[in-house]
Amino acid sequence: MTSRNSFWANCIENHKRRIWVWIVSVLGQLTVYPAFVMIYLSRIRTWYAQGIYRTYEEYHDVMYRVAAEALGFRHAMVSAVGLSFIIGIQGFAYLHDKRKVDLYHSVPVEKNRRFLVVYLNGIFIYLVSTVFSVLLGIVIAAAQNAVNDLVLSEVGLAFIWNLLFFLVVYHTVILAVMLTGNRLITVCMAGALLLYEPILYELNTYMQYAYFETVSRTYVSPAPKFSAVYDYFSEAFDLSDSVWTKGVGGLAEVVLPYCGKWLILAVVILAAAWFCYRKRPSESAGKAIAFVKTEPFLKVILAVPFSIGVGIIIYDASNGSNSLTVASMLIGGVIACAAAEVIYDFDIKSLIKHPLSGGVAIVGIVVIFLIYKNDLLGYDKYVPREGQVESVAMCLDYYEGTFWKEDFSSYTMADYHKDHMFITDVEAVLALASKSQQEAVGDKEVCDVRVVPVLYRLKSGREVGRNIWIDFADPANEALMNRIVGSEEWKEGAYQVMTDGESYNQVQAMSYSNGATGVALLPEDAQRLRNAYVKDMEKFDFTLATKERPCGRIDILFPKYRYTHLYVYENFENTIAYLNEQEAFYPVQLNPEDIADITVTNYHYDLKDEAIYTGQAGYNLAMGAQAEAVVYDAPVYDTPHGASTTTTVSTTFDDEEQIAQIVPVIYPSYLTVSWHDGTQEMDRNYDIYVTFKKDTTYPYDRTQRGVYYKFYVGQVPDFVVEATSLDAKTE
Amino acid sequence: MIEIHNLTKTYEQIKAVDDVSVTIKDNTVFGLIGTNGAGKSTVLRMISGVLKPDSGSIAVDGMPVYDNVEAKKKMFFIADEPYFFANANAQGMEKYYSSIYEGFDREEFYQYLESFNLDKSRKINTYSKGMKKQLAFLLGICSKTKYLLCDETMDGLDPVMRQGVKSIFAKEMDERGLTPVVASHNLRELEDICDHVGLLHKGGVLLSKDLEDMKCNIQKVQCVFATVEEELKALNGLEVLKKEQRGSLCTYTVRSTREEVTARFATVDTVFYEVLPLSLEEIFISETEVVGYDIKKLILG
Repeated sequence: MTSRNSFWANCIENHKRRIWVWIVSVLGQLTVYPAFVMIYLSRIRTWYAQGIYRTYEEYHDVMYRVAAEALGFRHAMVSAVGLSFIIGIQGFAYLHDKRKVDLYHSVPVEKNRRFLVVYLNGIFIYLVSTVFSVLLGIVIAAAQNAVNDLVLSEVGLAFIWNLLFFLVVYHTVILAVMLTGNRLITVCMAGALLLYEPILYELNTYMQYAYFETVSRTYVSPAPKFSAVYDYFSEAFDLSDSVWTKGVGGLAEVVLPYCGKWLILAVVILAAAWFCYRKRPSESAGKAIAFVKTEPFLKVILAVPFSIGVGIIIYDASNGSNSLTVASMLIGGVIACAAAEVIYDFDIKSLIKHPLSGGVAIVGIVVIFLIYKNDLLGYDKYVPREGQVESVAMCLDYYEGTFWKEDFSSYTMADYHKDHMFITDVEAVLALASKSQQEAVGDKEVCDVRVVPVLYRLKSGREVGRNIWIDFADPANEALMNRIVGSEEWKEGAYQVMTDGESYNQVQAMSYSNGATGVALLPEDAQRLRNAYVKDMEKFDFTLATKERPCGRIDILFPKYRYTHLYVYENFENTIAYLNEQEAFYPVQLNPEDIADITVTNYHYDLKDEAIYTGQAGYNLAMGAQAEAVVYDAPVYDTPHGASTTTTVSTTFDDEEQIAQIVPVIYPSYLTVSWHDGTQEMDRNYDIYVTFKKDTTYPYDRTQRGVYYKFYVGQVPDFVVEATSLDAKTE
Repeated sequence: MIEIHNLTKTYEQIKAVDDVSVTIKDNTVFGLIGTNGAGKSTVLRMISGVLKPDSGSIAVDGMPVYDNVEAKKKMFFIADEPYFFANANAQGMEKYYSSIYEGFDREEFYQYLESFNLDKSRKINTYSKGMKKQLAFLLGICSKTKYLLCDETMDGLDPVMRQGVKSIFAKEMDERGLTPVVASHNLRELEDICDHVGLLHKGGVLLSKDLEDMKCNIQKVQCVFATVEEELKALNGLEVLKKEQRGSLCTYTVRSTREEVTARFATVDTVFYEVLPLSLEEIFISETEVVGYDIKKLILG
């Protein structure tokens, strides 16, 4: 028989006080799990009946995925957070009521036992309602034949993941209850505890982007380390349905480390909550903050980020005004300090209580502003010493294609670089990085300054990401860049073709184009082609990439819609030999005899830029005034894609002589690469559309009527300039 | 026995209890009297283990009380505003307390409920304030703890209920040695209940005395002396706490036993004399005036 005042008797008594929590918890989880399963599956069945799915297998596959999604990672966050707040606050909020404290603290029940009873009962409520709802959801899904091993695996892992997430939030809420004496303040405190670290990271990121030149998040994106909410947000959507791509083991590899981390976090927070529970004075019931001595500290740590947030808003609104930014930060700080004092005492007259801590907050705000504004910590000046760096990754070519893993699942470019690019010629990179500050000033007449993300892998194990500014047009940089781009290490990290031979056994389609032609290649030849290309890539360096233009492109399609573009240069003998063998290689320059006509469209972007730059009356964007020097309809340049038709002039040339003059100075848009982005070698004002005759000497791509080209800068024939000028339009 | 030594408790900057030392003997009714804010509730909440003293000590039968279940088993604390669970009835509260206090007497509880005309099934939030106090009192009595700490529990009870409470106290004290500690801001509420009284003022103890001792050692005498010499002779050696005179009729409050006063006045030439009984109020007025306090302002309003 259970003793009258036993642990279990206490548990049962406590449950009697929590009946409404039981109801909310069960209803909430029934909504999140079985209800969503029913709704989702019913929708899929309807779609199937409407013929949206081609085959029964496809429909069935969707049913599995949807069941896994509904019972897995996708929806549980809201209920986990909501229930942890409700269960945590309802269980321990007796500490906020003097009358309840008088009862519970005077009766002969050990304080530790009371904590344990309330705490465990909370978990029990969550567990029972969740297990019941998930099982019911599984039964519903099974009844519709939407459950298999993969679904159960994902649901099982998601259950553990959600439970541990619940524990972290639940413990945080309990800690918040212990630190406060009022329910509303508890909710705010719990929110602050859960979001404080992500908010600090966001504020730091924003301030860095506002005031630093070398901030890069390409390779290293600092993320909160102790925020389960951040972890959940950043991963949950990717995890949903991912058992099909990652497999059970792959999913577990992602989920379980988080679970381990959250478990540790949950234990630490619980220990803190228990410590505060033991130390919490009973008389703090009803007050805003339970531990009076922490009030000034809390005020400072809340006022500082709040004021920086206000400053950031004003910085944006004022277009970067430092004086307004710092002023708004100070005002924000004063308001936050005053608000904290009012909340502490629930008394408006306490506005300027504890001026010392308010002063500390204000000083802190000013110091933080100066740290960013004047880069007091030398963020932008950071260049590691050569001896400190193990290797480097550097993103120079925004490679047009996708990266993939062995199973053809997605690989981001940055992750691929991180895993495959290990440049050991650190000296060259650091030499460029040291010049970065001068390049950033950008006072040279001719320059092509690129912002290049770099990852320093330090020997200490730390990874540092920075942008460095490199002038591609500066001859002094060419040798350094050739050491990097010409290195095998860089190429292996930048181009998957260099190392991933295995994928080329699974090529689904291949084709070659010089920008106008389109010739299919045999997928069986993929390895041969790859071998030839890899050999040719030995010649690839910075000089080739920036001084030469590709003469063609090989497009390769792999499973799961992964694809790559291999750009072919004229000195790629082995590749060209293969293409010739396949009768697929054609010169990049068109044969004028094949062309029916060429339509040139001049957008007059330069004119627009000049107008904006110099503020000419005729091109006053804001005022929409009429042009004086060149009379055209205004306003102009109001479309996101370029100038409006008011400055666009199109002319079609079908004269053979004119075509023959145009052909040598145009280059296919299809083959433009990012290496040439800033060099202005192609004239951005013009689009050229080439239409071919019916019978041509080359096998032109017939999937479209014609193809697009660009003029080389400074080589637009005079008759084209004249025929597409603004004057020509008015005539 | 509850022994309190140099107890101090401060709320932020306010000293609620300041160096209080009191001993509450077993099987007596201890009255804790003081104005609002005098520190009565704080003392009781510290005795019951709700609050932790800043300094000083409390020993219940030799055991420290704060966070000590064994000590708390001996006590039941009835707060000034007792808390009952939301939507609970008397039966529900009985179930809770009987799960907490091993010795809770359910049978007696329901008997008492009947005699106090409290409906066991009616929701407590529909009870009047007085009914709630009665229910809290009955729960405390039936928990069968040695000490019953009542914070303003007697205040506002009608005379019939007061009589009922008094008789229950008497019965429980007689049967099992109950020691009630009753706090009130009204001296008259406690007059007929307490054996021992502690007077709190501004967090400190003004006096703590056995009521009988106080009654036995202070006498009020009304008399008319034949001559002034006779008056001097009668009062010689007596500690006169107060003297009032209307014409030739004098009223003295003196510190002495009734026997001594009677004997002394019998030996002098008086036209008339009579030793009168003192109310608790008069005793307190006399005692506190001596130490410079105006008791009427403190607890009689």
